[in-house]
Amino acid sequence: MTRLRTGRFALGVAVVAVPLLLALLGPLFAGEPGPRGASFTLGDGHWLGTDFVGRDVWQQVLHGGRPVVLTALAATALAYLVALPLALLSALTHRRWLEELLMRPLDVLLAVPSLLLILLAATVFSPGAVGLALLVAAVNVPDAARLVRAAATEAAARPAVEALRMQGETWWRIAVGYVGRSMLRTLAADAGTRLTGVLYLVATAAFLGVGVAPDAADWAVMVDRNRTGLFVQPWAVVVPALLIVGLTMGANLLFDAALERTGKETRP
Amino acid sequence: MSGLRSFVARRLLLGVAQTAAVVLLVFALTEMLPGDAAVALAGDQPDPARIEAIREALRLDRPAVERLADWAAGLPHGDFGTSLASGRPVARYIADGFGPTLLLASLTVALLVPLGFGLGVLAARHEGRLLDRLVSSVTLAVYAVPEFALGVLLVTVLALRLGWLPPTAVGYGTDLLGHPAALVLPVLVLLARPVCSLVRLVRAGMIDALASPYVAQARRYGVSGARVRYTHALPNALAPAAQQLARTIDWLLCGVIVVEALYVIPGLGTVLLNAVAERDVPVVQGLAVVFGVLTVVLNLAADLVARRLAPRSGVAA
Repeated sequence: MTRLRTGRFALGVAVVAVPLLLALLGPLFAGEPGPRGASFTLGDGHWLGTDFVGRDVWQQVLHGGRPVVLTALAATALAYLVALPLALLSALTHRRWLEELLMRPLDVLLAVPSLLLILLAATVFSPGAVGLALLVAAVNVPDAARLVRAAATEAAARPAVEALRMQGETWWRIAVGYVGRSMLRTLAADAGTRLTGVLYLVATAAFLGVGVAPDAADWAVMVDRNRTGLFVQPWAVVVPALLIVGLTMGANLLFDAALERTGKETRP
Repeated sequence: MSGLRSFVARRLLLGVAQTAAVVLLVFALTEMLPGDAAVALAGDQPDPARIEAIREALRLDRPAVERLADWAAGLPHGDFGTSLASGRPVARYIADGFGPTLLLASLTVALLVPLGFGLGVLAARHEGRLLDRLVSSVTLAVYAVPEFALGVLLVTVLALRLGWLPPTAVGYGTDLLGHPAALVLPVLVLLARPVCSLVRLVRAGMIDALASPYVAQARRYGVSGARVRYTHALPNALAPAAQQLARTIDWLLCGVIVVEALYVIPGLGTVLLNAVAERDVPVVQGLAVVFGVLTVVLNLAADLVARRLAPRSGVAA
């Protein structure tokens, strides 16, 4: 199976490389936006034609990856920023009520579909990119906290923790220095899965118009807004859609192969 | 037996708590509006008459607790309030959108179960060989792809380039069964992610279960291969997957919203998205309660079924 894994890893890198490089470096090469032309035209000095308001599609593509990737990264980091302390606190406390108080509300929240929560919030606030990152992070907290807590509870039950306690080590030292460190691998595995899930949510929310301006340079928004011209100018839809497919597909292949390499069991 | 009964009791209690939480959360929506809710909902042209109408419709002059009690009391009777945009009862919106969504969802589930289980068992039987590698790689790759991206690509290739299928369901209204060709692409896109998840799950569980001592023992007794696989190994392979099955339901509900928007199907998802765009709070609340309670109930059912299939999941896993 090792050969297969290396193959998958290479495939993942190859698939994710183009969209990721475009997303991170694209804005540097985009240059000044040219004058707007007619909408949905092909050729005429535009390599990929023009979009629904007559902007150059290639330039939009160069700008459109960054918001997707950055929002997803920020949302994942934010989710852990909340989930980690919550989970560590509830795993290490000996007060039963505190544990229940911290984890029970999350169990209850876990049942609500994530996209529904995001749409609900979008009805009331009109979230920008930051708001979208916060929302996506918030819907990821319950699941992340539950997973981290399971790993932390296991580590906290080890004799080493008891020994550290008897030595009079500080809570901080035990929680971060020992328990936190011993669950790094589980965390890394979960972070990979979570990032692909977050990418999915960020892109889907943007496609549905949550957290983005209606004419934003964003791959998901481009797919949505240029759909009306699919008959005359498919490139304005197909190119950003392919980039999103490459980004999510490649990331998933890559994380899966990387996890198997470190000797972790496969996730279902 | 008492263990099973107490599990069911605890699970039902959690379900009730989750339902209550969904109702509270959805109600809290109007309370979260910054400042005067009526002014916020009136939008860009705050016309005094409209603000007054919204205040009247949402009964904002009364205390929140009283409104919550009234609203929650109406829910079991199917009274979800009236729309701010049209003044029609929200229940009518739900009744109108229910048919297409139910059709999409039931078609998808009807195909999902045999396809997911079949491919999963097939891959597990050929573990490590070409077929398994092919199934595993494809499911892993498609697993994370957003429906809308996959959907537009399929439309471009199958509908526009090859002309095999209609690109959207525009013009068919709610009579989708009369135009089965229009249903192929939506169901295909809706199936993609849940099938991948289910196949990976069944495959992993089956590989574990087929390697277990009780399967070896059953084989020694001369029990036929198919019977070992489907009546002994498969139920046990499923139990550890209950949580994952629940996530599949979540995906289906999210997927329905996206797929209806993409293929212009007038179901609940489209109604929800329109209401979100118009900030029609009562309609959003009504639909959110329907979607939320549906998820809670389906999750509950998935957990109970998984528990029923393998009551001693600890032994087999």
